Amino acid sequence: MKYCIALIVLLLVFSFFPVQAALRLDGQDQELRTELDFILHLITREDYDASLYLLERIGDAGRDWSDSLNFLSGWVMYRQKNLELSANKLLKVGKESPVFYKSHFFGAYNLAHIGQHQEAQKVLYNIPVASGSMHEALRCLQLSGLALLQNDLDEYFKYSMSFVGEHHVMVEQERNMESHRRRLEEARTPSPLVAGMLSAAVPGLGRIYAGKTSEGIISFLYVAALGFTSYDFYRGGGAKSPMFIISAGVTGLFYAGNIAGSAVAVRRKNQEFRYEMEQRILFDMHIPLRNAFN
Amino acid sequence: MKWNNVFCLTCIFLCATHSIEKLSAAEDVFEKANTLFADGYYFEAAIEYERIIFLSESPEVRVQSNLKKAESLKQLGSFGRARSDLQRSLNYRGNDSLRLEVLYQFAFCSFMAGFSFEAYATLLHLRNVFKEPHEHRIYLLESLVLTDLMHWEDLRNHLQNWMVNYAENESWTQKTLQAYDDILDKGLRALEIDPERAGILSTFLPGSGQFYAGEAGWGILNAFSQLASLAAFGVMVYNGYYIASFFAGLGPFQSFYFGGIRQAGDLATKNKNSRLNELQTALAQFFFEVEAGLLDY
Repeated sequence: MKYCIALIVLLLVFSFFPVQAALRLDGQDQELRTELDFILHLITREDYDASLYLLERIGDAGRDWSDSLNFLSGWVMYRQKNLELSANKLLKVGKESPVFYKSHFFGAYNLAHIGQHQEAQKVLYNIPVASGSMHEALRCLQLSGLALLQNDLDEYFKYSMSFVGEHHVMVEQERNMESHRRRLEEARTPSPLVAGMLSAAVPGLGRIYAGKTSEGIISFLYVAALGFTSYDFYRGGGAKSPMFIISAGVTGLFYAGNIAGSAVAVRRKNQEFRYEMEQRILFDMHIPLRNAFN
Repeated sequence: MKWNNVFCLTCIFLCATHSIEKLSAAEDVFEKANTLFADGYYFEAAIEYERIIFLSESPEVRVQSNLKKAESLKQLGSFGRARSDLQRSLNYRGNDSLRLEVLYQFAFCSFMAGFSFEAYATLLHLRNVFKEPHEHRIYLLESLVLTDLMHWEDLRNHLQNWMVNYAENESWTQKTLQAYDDILDKGLRALEIDPERAGILSTFLPGSGQFYAGEAGWGILNAFSQLASLAAFGVMVYNGYYIASFFAGLGPFQSFYFGGIRQAGDLATKNKNSRLNELQTALAQFFFEVEAGLLDY
Protein backbone atom coordinates (compact mmCIF):
# COMPACT_ATOMS: atom_id res chain seq x y z
CA MET A 1 0.00 0.00 0.00
CA LYS A 2 2.81 2.33 0.88
CA TYR A 3 4.30 1.69 -2.59
CA CYS A 4 0.97 2.58 -4.10
CA ILE A 5 0.92 5.93 -2.28
CA ALA A 6 4.53 6.63 -3.24
CA LEU A 7 3.70 5.86 -6.86
CA ILE A 8 0.77 8.23 -6.86
CA VAL A 9 2.95 10.97 -5.31
CA LEU A 10 5.63 10.33 -7.91
CA LEU A 11 3.16 10.49 -10.77
CA LEU A 12 1.78 13.72 -9.37
CA VAL A 13 5.25 15.25 -9.12
CA PHE A 14 6.20 14.34 -12.68
CA SER A 15 2.84 15.29 -14.08
CA PHE A 16 3.49 18.75 -12.58
CA PHE A 17 6.29 19.41 -15.12
CA PRO A 18 4.12 19.34 -18.26
CA VAL A 19 1.44 21.35 -16.46
CA GLN A 20 4.03 23.97 -15.53
CA ALA A 21 5.34 24.02 -19.08
CA ALA A 22 1.86 24.36 -20.45
CA LEU A 23 1.19 27.27 -18.14
CA ARG A 24 4.40 28.90 -19.24
CA LEU A 25 3.60 28.48 -22.90
CA ASP A 26 0.06 29.58 -22.37
CA GLY A 27 0.99 33.02 -21.10
CA GLN A 28 1.74 35.12 -24.17
CA ASP A 29 2.42 37.97 -21.79
CA GLN A 30 5.14 35.96 -20.15
CA GLU A 31 6.72 35.35 -23.56
CA LEU A 32 6.63 39.04 -24.35
CA ARG A 33 8.04 39.89 -20.94
CA THR A 34 10.94 37.52 -21.57
CA GLU A 35 11.48 39.09 -24.99
CA LEU A 36 11.53 42.57 -23.45
CA ASP A 37 14.00 41.37 -20.82
CA PHE A 38 16.19 40.13 -23.64
CA ILE A 39 15.86 43.44 -25.46
CA LEU A 40 16.87 45.25 -22.27
CA HIS A 41 19.87 42.96 -22.07
CA LEU A 42 20.79 43.93 -25.65
CA ILE A 43 20.37 47.63 -24.85
CA THR A 44 22.68 47.23 -21.85
CA ARG A 45 25.22 45.69 -24.20
CA GLU A 46 24.74 48.66 -26.55
CA ASP A 47 23.55 46.36 -29.31
CA TYR A 48 21.06 48.91 -30.57
CA ASP A 49 20.53 47.55 -34.08
CA ALA A 50 19.54 44.15 -32.72
CA SER A 51 17.26 45.73 -30.07
CA LEU A 52 15.47 47.80 -32.67
CA TYR A 53 15.13 44.83 -34.99
CA LEU A 54 13.44 42.79 -32.24
CA LEU A 55 11.21 45.69 -31.22
CA GLU A 56 10.07 46.14 -34.80
CA ARG A 57 9.46 42.40 -35.07
CA ILE A 58 7.18 42.49 -32.04
CA GLY A 59 5.16 45.20 -33.79
CA ASP A 60 1.77 45.86 -32.26
CA ALA A 61 1.33 43.82 -29.10
CA GLY A 62 -1.79 45.53 -27.83
CA ARG A 63 -2.51 48.52 -25.64
CA ASP A 64 -1.04 46.95 -22.50
CA TRP A 65 2.38 46.80 -24.05
CA SER A 66 2.41 49.83 -26.32
CA ASP A 67 3.94 52.16 -23.70
CA SER A 68 6.80 49.80 -22.97
CA LEU A 69 7.45 49.18 -26.65
CA ASN A 70 7.30 52.88 -27.55
CA PHE A 71 9.56 53.79 -24.67
CA LEU A 72 12.15 51.14 -25.54
CA SER A 73 12.09 52.01 -29.25
CA GLY A 74 12.42 55.71 -28.45
CA TRP A 75 15.20 55.07 -25.99
CA VAL A 76 17.19 52.95 -28.44
CA MET A 77 16.79 55.60 -31.13
CA TYR A 78 17.88 58.27 -28.65
CA ARG A 79 21.04 56.22 -27.92
CA GLN A 80 21.58 55.94 -31.67
CA LYS A 81 21.22 59.73 -31.92
CA ASN A 82 18.23 59.34 -34.22
CA LEU A 83 16.51 62.12 -32.32
CA GLU A 84 13.52 62.89 -34.52
CA LEU A 85 12.27 59.31 -34.61
CA SER A 86 13.15 58.94 -30.95
CA ALA A 87 10.99 61.94 -29.99
CA ASN A 88 8.15 60.54 -32.07
CA LYS A 89 8.21 57.24 -30.16
CA LEU A 90 8.87 58.68 -26.69
CA LEU A 91 6.02 61.15 -26.94
CA LYS A 92 3.58 58.30 -27.60
CA VAL A 93 4.09 56.97 -24.06
CA GLY A 94 0.88 57.42 -22.08
CA LYS A 95 0.39 59.25 -18.76
CA GLU A 96 -0.27 56.01 -16.85
CA SER A 97 3.13 54.63 -17.69
CA PRO A 98 5.82 54.75 -14.97
CA VAL A 99 8.23 56.05 -17.62
CA PHE A 100 5.91 58.87 -18.73
CA TYR A 101 8.01 61.70 -17.28
CA LYS A 102 11.26 60.30 -18.53
CA SER A 103 9.81 59.75 -22.01
CA HIS A 104 8.30 63.19 -22.33
CA PHE A 105 11.20 65.13 -20.90
CA PHE A 106 13.63 63.28 -23.18
CA GLY A 107 11.19 63.63 -26.10
CA ALA A 108 11.12 67.40 -25.59
CA TYR A 109 14.89 67.50 -25.29
CA ASN A 110 15.25 65.56 -28.57
CA LEU A 111 12.97 68.08 -30.30
CA ALA A 112 15.02 70.95 -28.87
CA HIS A 113 18.20 69.31 -30.12
CA ILE A 114 16.93 69.06 -33.70
CA GLY A 115 15.81 72.69 -33.64
CA GLN A 116 12.05 72.15 -33.18
CA HIS A 117 11.90 74.58 -30.26
CA GLN A 118 8.19 75.42 -30.46
CA GLU A 119 7.18 71.75 -30.46
CA ALA A 120 9.49 71.08 -27.54
CA GLN A 121 7.86 73.94 -25.62
CA LYS A 122 4.40 72.53 -26.30
CA VAL A 123 5.43 69.11 -25.02
CA LEU A 124 6.87 70.61 -21.84
CA TYR A 125 3.74 72.71 -21.20
CA ASN A 126 1.62 69.57 -21.46
CA ILE A 127 3.57 67.62 -18.84
CA PRO A 128 1.44 67.66 -15.69
CA VAL A 129 3.66 68.58 -12.75
CA ALA A 130 2.90 69.09 -9.07
CA SER A 131 3.74 72.48 -7.64
CA GLY A 132 7.11 72.50 -5.86
CA SER A 133 8.10 69.12 -7.28
CA MET A 134 11.39 68.25 -8.92
CA HIS A 135 9.53 67.77 -12.20
CA GLU A 136 8.34 71.35 -12.05
CA ALA A 137 11.87 72.64 -11.46
CA LEU A 138 13.10 70.45 -14.29
CA ARG A 139 10.44 71.80 -16.61
CA CYS A 140 11.43 75.37 -15.73
CA LEU A 141 15.05 74.63 -16.49
CA GLN A 142 14.18 73.04 -19.85
CA LEU A 143 11.90 75.94 -20.78
CA SER A 144 14.54 78.48 -19.80
CA GLY A 145 17.04 76.61 -21.96
CA LEU A 146 14.60 76.66 -24.87
CA ALA A 147 14.09 80.40 -24.39
CA LEU A 148 17.86 80.94 -24.58
CA LEU A 149 18.07 78.77 -27.69
CA GLN A 150 15.49 81.07 -29.26
CA ASN A 151 17.33 84.14 -27.94
CA ASP A 152 14.13 85.18 -26.13
CA LEU A 153 15.49 86.73 -22.94
CA ASP A 154 12.08 87.94 -21.65
CA GLU A 155 10.78 84.39 -21.79
CA TYR A 156 13.99 83.24 -20.10
CA PHE A 157 13.48 85.60 -17.15
CA LYS A 158 9.96 84.28 -16.75
CA TYR A 159 11.31 80.80 -16.02
CA SER A 160 14.60 81.67 -14.35
CA MET A 161 12.58 83.34 -11.56
CA SER A 162 11.63 79.81 -10.55
CA PHE A 163 15.24 78.59 -10.20
CA VAL A 164 15.26 77.51 -6.61
CA GLY A 165 18.62 75.77 -6.29
CA GLU A 166 17.02 73.09 -4.17
CA HIS A 167 17.37 70.08 -6.42
CA HIS A 168 20.89 68.74 -6.49
CA VAL A 169 20.36 67.23 -9.96
CA MET A 170 20.20 70.68 -11.52
CA VAL A 171 21.75 73.23 -9.15
CA GLU A 172 24.85 73.62 -11.26
CA GLN A 173 22.89 73.76 -14.51
CA GLU A 174 20.65 76.53 -13.14
CA ARG A 175 23.80 78.55 -12.46
CA ASN A 176 25.16 77.70 -15.91
CA MET A 177 21.95 78.88 -17.61
CA GLU A 178 22.37 82.22 -15.89
CA SER A 179 25.93 82.48 -17.14
CA HIS A 180 24.82 81.55 -20.69
CA ARG A 181 22.21 84.27 -20.51
CA ARG A 182 24.89 86.80 -19.49
CA ARG A 183 27.19 85.71 -22.32
CA LEU A 184 24.38 86.01 -24.85
CA GLU A 185 23.44 89.42 -23.54
CA GLU A 186 26.99 90.74 -23.47
CA ALA A 187 28.07 89.17 -26.73
CA ARG A 188 28.84 91.69 -29.45
CA THR A 189 27.50 90.38 -32.75
CA PRO A 190 29.61 91.95 -35.46
CA SER A 191 27.84 93.00 -38.65
CA PRO A 192 28.93 91.57 -42.03
CA LEU A 193 28.16 94.94 -43.64
CA VAL A 194 30.45 96.86 -41.27
CA ALA A 195 33.17 94.23 -41.80
CA GLY A 196 32.89 94.65 -45.58
CA MET A 197 33.07 98.43 -45.32
CA LEU A 198 36.08 98.27 -43.02
CA SER A 199 37.87 95.98 -45.46
CA ALA A 200 37.04 98.33 -48.31
CA ALA A 201 38.69 101.17 -46.37
CA VAL A 202 41.72 99.19 -45.16
CA PRO A 203 42.15 95.68 -46.55
CA GLY A 204 42.07 93.10 -43.75
CA LEU A 205 40.51 95.44 -41.17
CA GLY A 206 37.12 93.70 -41.52
CA ARG A 207 38.67 90.38 -40.54
CA ILE A 208 40.38 91.97 -37.54
CA TYR A 209 36.94 93.39 -36.59
CA ALA A 210 35.58 89.80 -36.88
CA GLY A 211 38.21 88.71 -34.36
CA LYS A 212 40.46 86.98 -36.90
CA THR A 213 43.53 89.16 -36.43
CA SER A 214 46.17 87.00 -38.11
CA GLU A 215 43.93 86.48 -41.17
CA GLY A 216 43.44 90.27 -41.31
CA ILE A 217 47.17 91.01 -41.24
CA ILE A 218 47.90 88.40 -43.94
CA SER A 219 45.12 89.79 -46.16
CA PHE A 220 46.48 93.28 -45.75
CA LEU A 221 50.00 92.17 -46.71
CA TYR A 222 48.75 90.33 -49.81
CA VAL A 223 46.70 93.24 -51.11
CA ALA A 224 49.46 95.74 -50.26
CA ALA A 225 52.09 93.64 -52.08
CA LEU A 226 49.87 93.37 -55.15
CA GLY A 227 49.12 97.09 -55.00
CA PHE A 228 52.83 97.96 -54.87
CA THR A 229 53.51 95.61 -57.77
CA SER A 230 50.81 97.30 -59.86
CA TYR A 231 52.17 100.70 -58.95
CA ASP A 232 55.65 99.60 -60.06
CA PHE A 233 54.32 98.44 -63.43
CA TYR A 234 52.33 101.67 -63.79
CA ARG A 235 55.41 103.74 -62.97
CA GLY A 236 57.55 101.90 -65.52
CA GLY A 237 55.11 101.24 -68.39
CA GLY A 238 52.16 103.56 -67.91
CA ALA A 239 48.46 102.82 -67.58
CA LYS A 240 48.30 101.00 -70.93
CA SER A 241 51.13 98.63 -70.18
CA PRO A 242 49.88 95.00 -70.33
CA MET A 243 51.80 94.13 -67.17
CA PHE A 244 50.05 96.93 -65.31
CA ILE A 245 46.63 95.86 -66.62
CA ILE A 246 47.18 92.23 -65.58
CA SER A 247 48.66 93.23 -62.24
CA ALA A 248 45.91 95.77 -61.51
CA GLY A 249 43.28 93.20 -62.46
CA VAL A 250 44.74 90.67 -60.03
CA THR A 251 44.98 93.34 -57.31
CA GLY A 252 41.35 94.35 -57.90
CA LEU A 253 40.26 90.72 -57.64
CA PHE A 254 42.13 90.25 -54.37
CA TYR A 255 40.77 93.55 -53.03
CA ALA A 256 37.14 92.66 -53.85
CA GLY A 257 37.65 89.11 -52.61
CA ASN A 258 38.98 90.46 -49.35
CA ILE A 259 35.85 92.59 -48.83
CA ALA A 260 33.57 89.63 -49.49
CA GLY A 261 35.83 87.39 -47.37
CA SER A 262 35.54 89.79 -44.43
CA ALA A 263 31.74 89.68 -44.55
CA VAL A 264 31.86 85.87 -44.74
CA ALA A 265 34.34 85.77 -41.85
CA VAL A 266 31.95 87.80 -39.69
CA ARG A 267 29.02 85.55 -40.56
CA ARG A 268 31.17 82.49 -39.81
CA LYS A 269 32.27 83.97 -36.50
CA ASN A 270 28.64 84.66 -35.54
CA GLN A 271 27.64 81.14 -36.51
CA GLU A 272 30.53 79.68 -34.50
CA PHE A 273 29.49 81.65 -31.44
CA ARG A 274 25.84 80.71 -31.86
CA TYR A 275 26.74 77.04 -32.33
CA GLU A 276 28.98 77.04 -29.28
CA MET A 277 26.25 78.62 -27.15
CA GLU A 278 23.63 76.19 -28.44
CA GLN A 279 25.84 73.23 -27.56
CA ARG A 280 26.47 74.60 -24.07
CA ILE A 281 22.77 75.26 -23.46
CA LEU A 282 21.73 71.85 -24.79
CA PHE A 283 24.39 70.22 -22.64
CA ASP A 284 23.04 71.93 -19.55
CA MET A 285 19.51 70.89 -20.49
CA HIS A 286 20.65 67.30 -20.96
CA ILE A 287 22.66 66.70 -17.80
CA PRO A 288 19.76 67.21 -15.33
CA LEU A 289 17.64 64.76 -17.36
CA ARG A 290 20.36 62.14 -17.10
CA ASN A 291 20.79 62.86 -13.40
CA ALA A 292 17.09 62.81 -12.64
CA PHE A 293 15.99 59.78 -14.62
CA ASN A 294 18.99 57.43 -14.89
CA MET B 1 7.38 -7.64 -4.18
CA LYS B 2 5.09 -7.01 -7.08
CA TRP B 3 4.47 -3.39 -6.03
CA ASN B 4 8.18 -2.99 -5.48
CA ASN B 5 8.91 -3.97 -9.09
CA VAL B 6 6.16 -1.76 -10.49
CA PHE B 7 7.47 1.19 -8.46
CA CYS B 8 11.05 0.68 -9.64
CA LEU B 9 10.09 0.28 -13.29
CA THR B 10 7.85 3.35 -13.16
CA CYS B 11 10.69 5.36 -11.63
CA ILE B 12 13.10 4.24 -14.34
CA PHE B 13 10.55 5.02 -17.07
CA LEU B 14 9.75 8.50 -15.77
CA CYS B 15 13.37 9.46 -15.15
CA ALA B 16 14.46 8.14 -18.54
CA THR B 17 11.77 10.02 -20.47
CA HIS B 18 12.45 13.19 -18.49
CA SER B 19 16.20 12.96 -19.09
CA ILE B 20 15.75 12.31 -22.83
CA GLU B 21 13.51 15.36 -23.01
CA LYS B 22 16.18 17.50 -21.32
CA LEU B 23 18.96 16.09 -23.50
CA SER B 24 17.14 16.76 -26.74
CA ALA B 25 16.31 20.26 -25.50
CA ALA B 26 20.02 20.93 -24.98
CA GLU B 27 20.81 19.69 -28.48
CA ASP B 28 18.03 21.78 -29.95
CA VAL B 29 19.15 24.96 -28.26
CA PHE B 30 21.31 25.98 -31.25
CA GLU B 31 18.99 24.67 -33.94
CA LYS B 32 17.18 27.90 -34.82
CA ALA B 33 20.34 30.03 -34.73
CA ASN B 34 22.33 27.45 -36.70
CA THR B 35 19.64 27.31 -39.39
CA LEU B 36 19.65 31.10 -39.71
CA PHE B 37 23.43 31.06 -39.96
CA ALA B 38 23.38 28.30 -42.56
CA ASP B 39 20.82 30.25 -44.61
CA GLY B 40 23.05 33.33 -44.58
CA TYR B 41 20.95 35.39 -42.13
CA TYR B 42 23.97 36.33 -40.04
CA PHE B 43 22.45 39.34 -38.27
CA GLU B 44 19.42 37.32 -37.13
CA ALA B 45 21.66 34.38 -36.24
CA ALA B 46 23.82 36.65 -34.06
CA ILE B 47 20.68 37.76 -32.18
CA GLU B 48 19.59 34.16 -31.61
CA TYR B 49 23.03 33.18 -30.34
CA GLU B 50 22.93 36.16 -27.97
CA ARG B 51 19.52 34.96 -26.80
CA ILE B 52 21.05 31.58 -25.92
CA ILE B 53 23.78 33.37 -23.95
CA PHE B 54 21.07 35.36 -22.16
CA LEU B 55 18.87 32.38 -21.34
CA SER B 56 21.33 29.58 -20.75
CA GLU B 57 22.66 28.81 -17.31
CA SER B 58 25.41 26.54 -18.54
CA PRO B 59 28.75 28.37 -18.88
CA GLU B 60 29.78 25.92 -21.58
CA VAL B 61 26.68 26.58 -23.70
CA ARG B 62 27.17 30.32 -23.22
CA VAL B 63 30.77 30.13 -24.44
CA GLN B 64 29.79 27.93 -27.40
CA SER B 65 27.06 30.36 -28.30
CA ASN B 66 29.41 33.32 -27.94
CA LEU B 67 31.83 31.68 -30.36
CA LYS B 68 29.05 31.03 -32.84
CA LYS B 69 27.87 34.62 -32.46
CA ALA B 70 31.42 35.80 -33.16
CA GLU B 71 31.33 33.69 -36.32
CA SER B 72 28.13 35.43 -37.46
CA LEU B 73 29.58 38.86 -36.69
CA LYS B 74 32.72 37.97 -38.60
CA GLN B 75 30.55 37.16 -41.61
CA LEU B 76 29.05 40.65 -41.24
CA GLY B 77 32.54 42.16 -41.03
CA SER B 78 31.91 43.41 -37.47
CA PHE B 79 35.24 42.30 -36.02
CA GLY B 80 35.25 44.99 -33.34
CA ARG B 81 31.85 43.90 -32.07
CA ALA B 82 32.87 40.22 -32.18
CA ARG B 83 35.98 41.10 -30.21
CA SER B 84 34.09 42.94 -27.48
CA ASP B 85 31.57 40.08 -27.25
CA LEU B 86 34.31 37.46 -26.97
CA GLN B 87 35.84 39.44 -24.13
CA ARG B 88 33.00 38.07 -21.98
CA SER B 89 34.29 34.53 -22.39
CA LEU B 90 37.97 35.21 -21.71
CA ASN B 91 37.60 34.16 -18.07
CA TYR B 92 36.11 30.78 -18.98
CA ARG B 93 38.11 28.01 -17.31
CA GLY B 94 36.22 24.89 -18.41
CA ASN B 95 36.76 22.73 -21.44
CA ASP B 96 40.30 23.22 -22.80
CA SER B 97 39.39 23.08 -26.48
CA LEU B 98 36.70 25.73 -25.97
CA ARG B 99 39.11 27.90 -24.03
CA LEU B 100 41.71 27.63 -26.78
CA GLU B 101 39.06 28.51 -29.37
CA VAL B 102 37.99 31.58 -27.37
CA LEU B 103 41.57 32.82 -27.06
CA TYR B 104 42.27 32.19 -30.75
CA GLN B 105 39.07 33.87 -31.93
CA PHE B 106 39.67 36.81 -29.61
CA ALA B 107 43.20 37.22 -30.99
CA PHE B 108 41.89 36.89 -34.56
CA CYS B 109 39.13 39.47 -34.09
CA SER B 110 41.51 41.82 -32.29
CA PHE B 111 43.93 41.59 -35.20
CA MET B 112 41.18 42.17 -37.76
CA ALA B 113 39.81 45.10 -35.76
CA GLY B 114 43.25 46.72 -35.77
CA PHE B 115 44.30 45.85 -32.20
CA SER B 116 47.49 44.03 -33.12
CA PHE B 117 49.21 44.53 -29.76
CA GLU B 118 46.25 42.99 -27.99
CA ALA B 119 46.17 40.13 -30.50
CA TYR B 120 49.86 39.47 -29.86
CA ALA B 121 49.38 39.55 -26.07
CA THR B 122 46.48 37.08 -26.40
CA LEU B 123 48.56 34.74 -28.55
CA LEU B 124 51.39 34.86 -25.99
CA HIS B 125 48.84 34.07 -23.29
CA LEU B 126 47.50 31.22 -25.42
CA ARG B 127 51.01 29.79 -25.81
CA ASN B 128 51.57 30.13 -22.09
CA VAL B 129 48.35 28.27 -21.20
CA PHE B 130 48.56 25.61 -23.90
CA LYS B 131 52.26 24.90 -24.07
CA GLU B 132 52.37 23.58 -27.64
CA PRO B 133 49.13 24.41 -29.44
CA HIS B 134 50.28 22.86 -32.72
CA GLU B 135 47.79 24.42 -35.05
CA HIS B 136 48.65 25.99 -38.38
CA ARG B 137 46.06 28.72 -37.98
CA ILE B 138 47.66 29.87 -34.70
CA TYR B 139 51.11 29.97 -36.31
CA LEU B 140 49.67 31.82 -39.29
CA LEU B 141 47.83 34.36 -37.16
CA GLU B 142 50.93 35.02 -35.07
CA SER B 143 52.95 35.52 -38.26
CA LEU B 144 50.45 38.06 -39.54
CA VAL B 145 50.33 39.86 -36.19
CA LEU B 146 54.14 40.03 -35.98
CA THR B 147 54.24 41.30 -39.58
CA ASP B 148 51.79 44.03 -38.66
CA LEU B 149 53.86 44.92 -35.60
CA MET B 150 57.08 44.85 -37.67
CA HIS B 151 58.86 42.53 -35.20
CA TRP B 152 61.11 41.14 -37.95
CA GLU B 153 63.51 39.18 -35.71
CA ASP B 154 60.68 37.58 -33.70
CA LEU B 155 58.96 36.81 -36.97
CA ARG B 156 62.00 34.90 -38.27
CA ASN B 157 62.27 32.90 -35.03
CA HIS B 158 58.57 32.19 -35.17
CA LEU B 159 58.79 30.98 -38.76
CA GLN B 160 61.73 28.76 -37.87
CA ASN B 161 59.79 27.29 -34.96
CA TRP B 162 56.78 26.67 -37.20
CA MET B 163 58.89 24.94 -39.85
CA VAL B 164 60.81 22.86 -37.30
CA ASN B 165 57.55 21.62 -35.79
CA TYR B 166 56.02 20.63 -39.12
CA ALA B 167 58.57 20.19 -41.86
CA GLU B 168 60.95 17.40 -41.07
CA ASN B 169 62.84 18.16 -44.25
CA GLU B 170 65.76 20.38 -43.16
CA SER B 171 66.49 21.71 -46.64
CA TRP B 172 62.89 22.87 -47.05
CA THR B 173 63.12 24.74 -43.74
CA GLN B 174 66.32 26.44 -44.87
CA LYS B 175 64.79 27.29 -48.25
CA THR B 176 61.73 28.84 -46.62
CA LEU B 177 63.84 30.86 -44.19
CA GLN B 178 65.98 32.03 -47.09
CA ALA B 179 62.88 33.11 -49.01
CA TYR B 180 61.72 35.07 -45.94
CA ASP B 181 65.14 36.74 -45.62
CA ASP B 182 65.08 37.68 -49.31
CA ILE B 183 61.63 39.29 -49.12
CA LEU B 184 62.57 41.12 -45.94
CA ASP B 185 65.95 42.33 -47.26
CA LYS B 186 64.38 43.63 -50.45
CA GLY B 187 61.57 45.32 -48.53
CA LEU B 188 63.83 46.87 -45.91
CA ARG B 189 66.13 48.23 -48.60
CA ALA B 190 63.13 49.90 -50.21
CA LEU B 191 62.24 51.34 -46.81
CA GLU B 192 65.61 53.07 -46.46
CA ILE B 193 64.03 56.34 -47.46
CA ASP B 194 64.46 59.19 -45.01
CA PRO B 195 62.01 62.12 -45.11
CA GLU B 196 64.55 64.35 -43.39
CA ARG B 197 67.15 63.54 -46.00
CA ALA B 198 64.65 64.30 -48.79
CA GLY B 199 64.11 67.74 -47.24
CA ILE B 200 67.85 68.41 -46.98
CA LEU B 201 68.39 67.39 -50.61
CA SER B 202 65.67 69.78 -51.77
CA THR B 203 67.23 72.55 -49.68
CA PHE B 204 70.47 72.38 -51.66
CA LEU B 205 69.23 71.17 -55.04
CA PRO B 206 65.59 72.03 -55.86
CA GLY B 207 63.59 68.99 -56.95
CA SER B 208 66.25 66.45 -55.93
CA GLY B 209 64.39 65.55 -52.69
CA GLN B 210 61.33 64.61 -54.75
CA PHE B 211 63.54 62.49 -57.04
CA TYR B 212 65.00 60.76 -53.96
CA ALA B 213 61.46 60.12 -52.67
CA GLY B 214 60.68 58.40 -55.98
CA GLU B 215 58.49 61.16 -57.43
CA ALA B 216 60.43 62.41 -60.45
CA GLY B 217 57.43 64.27 -61.91
CA TRP B 218 56.98 66.42 -58.82
CA GLY B 219 60.75 67.00 -58.73
CA ILE B 220 60.83 68.36 -62.31
CA LEU B 221 57.74 70.52 -61.72
CA ASN B 222 59.13 72.02 -58.52
CA ALA B 223 62.56 72.72 -60.02
CA PHE B 224 60.96 74.32 -63.11
CA SER B 225 58.66 76.51 -60.94
CA GLN B 226 61.61 77.77 -58.94
CA LEU B 227 63.62 78.48 -62.07
CA ALA B 228 60.69 80.27 -63.75
CA SER B 229 60.05 82.49 -60.74
CA LEU B 230 63.76 83.32 -60.49
CA ALA B 231 63.81 84.12 -64.21
CA ALA B 232 60.80 86.42 -63.79
CA PHE B 233 62.61 88.12 -60.92
CA GLY B 234 65.69 88.64 -63.10
CA VAL B 235 63.72 89.99 -66.07
CA MET B 236 61.80 92.43 -63.88
CA VAL B 237 64.98 93.69 -62.18
CA TYR B 238 66.60 94.09 -65.61
CA ASN B 239 63.64 96.20 -66.76
CA GLY B 240 63.72 98.34 -63.62
CA TYR B 241 60.61 96.95 -61.93
CA TYR B 242 62.26 96.58 -58.54
CA ILE B 243 59.18 96.50 -56.34
CA ALA B 244 57.32 94.18 -58.71
CA SER B 245 60.36 91.88 -58.92
CA PHE B 246 60.34 91.58 -55.15
CA PHE B 247 56.64 90.67 -54.83
CA ALA B 248 55.95 88.93 -58.17
CA GLY B 249 59.38 87.24 -58.54
CA LEU B 250 60.89 86.56 -55.15
CA GLY B 251 57.48 86.02 -53.49
CA PRO B 252 56.52 83.02 -55.62
CA PHE B 253 60.13 81.79 -55.57
CA GLN B 254 60.24 81.53 -51.78
CA SER B 255 56.85 79.77 -51.84
CA PHE B 256 58.12 77.21 -54.36
CA TYR B 257 61.44 76.82 -52.57
CA PHE B 258 60.16 76.25 -49.02
CA GLY B 259 57.07 74.43 -50.31
CA GLY B 260 59.39 72.13 -52.30
CA ILE B 261 61.41 71.27 -49.19
CA ARG B 262 58.24 70.43 -47.25
CA GLN B 263 56.76 68.51 -50.17
CA ALA B 264 59.91 66.38 -50.55
CA GLY B 265 59.63 65.31 -46.89
CA ASP B 266 55.89 64.60 -47.21
CA LEU B 267 56.36 62.55 -50.38
CA ALA B 268 59.16 60.55 -48.75
CA THR B 269 56.93 59.77 -45.75
CA LYS B 270 54.02 58.80 -48.01
CA ASN B 271 56.15 56.54 -50.19
CA LYS B 272 57.84 54.97 -47.18
CA ASN B 273 54.42 54.06 -45.75
CA SER B 274 53.23 52.65 -49.05
CA ARG B 275 56.42 50.56 -49.40
CA LEU B 276 55.95 49.30 -45.86
CA ASN B 277 52.42 48.26 -46.83
CA GLU B 278 53.79 46.47 -49.86
CA LEU B 279 56.34 44.63 -47.72
CA GLN B 280 53.67 43.60 -45.20
CA THR B 281 51.39 42.40 -47.99
CA ALA B 282 54.23 40.41 -49.58
CA LEU B 283 55.06 38.80 -46.23
CA ALA B 284 51.40 38.00 -45.53
CA GLN B 285 51.17 36.38 -48.97
CA PHE B 286 54.35 34.44 -48.23
CA PHE B 287 52.96 33.13 -44.91
CA PHE B 288 49.74 32.00 -46.57
CA GLU B 289 51.87 30.10 -49.08
CA VAL B 290 53.94 28.58 -46.25
CA GLU B 291 50.76 27.42 -44.53
CA ALA B 292 49.40 25.94 -47.76
CA GLY B 293 52.71 24.15 -48.33
CA LEU B 294 52.78 22.76 -44.80
CA LEU B 295 49.18 21.60 -45.04
CA ASP B 296 50.01 19.73 -48.25
CA TYR B 297 53.08 18.30 -46.57
